[in-house]
Amino acid sequence: MRKYIIGFLIYGLPLPLLLYSLTVGPSQGLHLADYWAWAKAVLAGGVADTSGELYLINNIIENVRLPRVILTFIIGAGLAASGGTLQGIFRNPLVDPYVLGISSGSAFGAALAIAFPLININLSAFALGVVSVILTYSFAFSNKSASIVAVILSGMIVSGIFTAMLTIVQYISDPYKLQAIVQWTMGNLHHASWDKINSAVLPISVGVAGMYLLRWRLNLLALGDQEAKAVGVNPNRDKIILVVLATLTTSSSVAAAGIISLYGLFVPHLTRMMVGPDNRKAMPANILFGGSFLLIIDNFSRSLMEFEIPIGIFTMLLGAPFFIFLMKKNKINWV
Amino acid sequence: MTKQAIEVSNLSFSYGNTPILEDVNVTFPEGKFSVVLGRNGSGKSTLFNILSGMADYKHGSVKLMGRERKDMSFADCATMMGFLPQFHKSIFPFQVRDVVLTGRAAFSSFSPKKADLEKVEQAIEELEITHLIDRPYTELSGGEQQLVMIARVLVQNPGIILLDEPTNHLDVYYQTFVLEKLRKLSQNNFTVIAIMHDPNLAFLYADHCFFMKNKTVVKTDLANHDSELLQYVYNVQFTAVQVKEKMIVVPTL
Repeated sequence: MRKYIIGFLIYGLPLPLLLYSLTVGPSQGLHLADYWAWAKAVLAGGVADTSGELYLINNIIENVRLPRVILTFIIGAGLAASGGTLQGIFRNPLVDPYVLGISSGSAFGAALAIAFPLININLSAFALGVVSVILTYSFAFSNKSASIVAVILSGMIVSGIFTAMLTIVQYISDPYKLQAIVQWTMGNLHHASWDKINSAVLPISVGVAGMYLLRWRLNLLALGDQEAKAVGVNPNRDKIILVVLATLTTSSSVAAAGIISLYGLFVPHLTRMMVGPDNRKAMPANILFGGSFLLIIDNFSRSLMEFEIPIGIFTMLLGAPFFIFLMKKNKINWV
Repeated sequence: MTKQAIEVSNLSFSYGNTPILEDVNVTFPEGKFSVVLGRNGSGKSTLFNILSGMADYKHGSVKLMGRERKDMSFADCATMMGFLPQFHKSIFPFQVRDVVLTGRAAFSSFSPKKADLEKVEQAIEELEITHLIDRPYTELSGGEQQLVMIARVLVQNPGIILLDEPTNHLDVYYQTFVLEKLRKLSQNNFTVIAIMHDPNLAFLYADHCFFMKNKTVVKTDLANHDSELLQYVYNVQFTAVQVKEKMIVVPTL
């Protein structure tokens, strides 16, 4: 029974949830019957009438909700897959995709582009996210190898540096730009658009597909370097490929939707509880359930209150108690 | 004449300016159970790291079945040799089956094939741990974990098996169980080479013993005690005691 429920949560939930999410939003006065009429019209060959109610619904769904729902799902899948991957590589269940400094690097890049509008915000966020990972790794490397502790510590240092520089940018920005910067860093799925999807979908799909392909190799990496070498595999090649894929995915998602805190940390824990630690099963679960769950959270964040709660705040509020729960239950063995 | 599985000649190795191995010359015969003994810091583990490919060497030569190890890729090495590193701890509660399956990673790049799964079952059966196959690795006792790791080496189907202190942390039951299995493997044409700390267990089970002291292999001895040699290697006075027809040694009080 448990097996079927879990199977449904992972494989059955995404499609109905995607459809349902199209009906969630702040627009008042729309009922299920209206959506039904719209769906029939679309299936019958599109909405031709440009003045009626159907056209309004069509506009809301096509230009506001559909891109948002798709972007949310892709980003949820990407963050969860990257989180699971990095937890495996670093052999540490406390790792999340931002541990390499991506989030603060990207936030600084976005802030810079908002304050001094010379280049595209998303592009700048993406570029500085990648730069921060490169910096983290180059600080951590000594003697041709980087220990886990060195990587995590140098990630903290890089985060610190970029956070400091972000604060400088915020300090010298005028109030309007400051507001934009702050909103950006809180996670901003309500700015979803087809443009954002177009720029995010390719890198995230490539990253997620690569991590999916290498999911069994990740089991080997999760046992440790020596254990990989002992059975004739050079772990560094696999590690580099996976870190590049996770960085590509995470920085693209940060560039498109800002910082969604702790999400990449706790979803891999949930899926591990459902299907166990074997990444052959956990990776598809991360991708599908990761997408679904962020969609559920986003549905709450835009329907729970009069105003929309930024998604990054919501995931932080959900993730923090979960994190404490894990700590207290000793599910996390920090070695 | 027996063939040599591993031939080491004039091997020297240092970490920075600290020499760890100096002019090591040793050959390990094929199809036998050999044990390397010596005090902590005598260079045993470093020698093993070089043999297994964990560390690179510049001076001297190491030949596996006649081929220079330096010139072989990781994957090439894997078909020839399996290595069991010292005691290991897993973070994630992988099932025993999945842990053993990772031993096939050098042969299948993306996902394991059916033949890989069969090899896993076979190795697990051989070590008599079939009852553990679905258990999480992290919940096993030290002895059971060691057997799982040995099964993981076996699925590679290597001709040579290196083990760094396979009986460390194990109780007497598992010590004898593991050593008995290793002896069986060597009788089935595997070359088994292990680092051990207890000379008596080595004398009981091994075909050959090799002693290391002062960064090099000082003496090879055919499974027999030699109090003077042991005193030189360990800096401890030993008294030989006869138990039935076997001689064992105890530190002199």
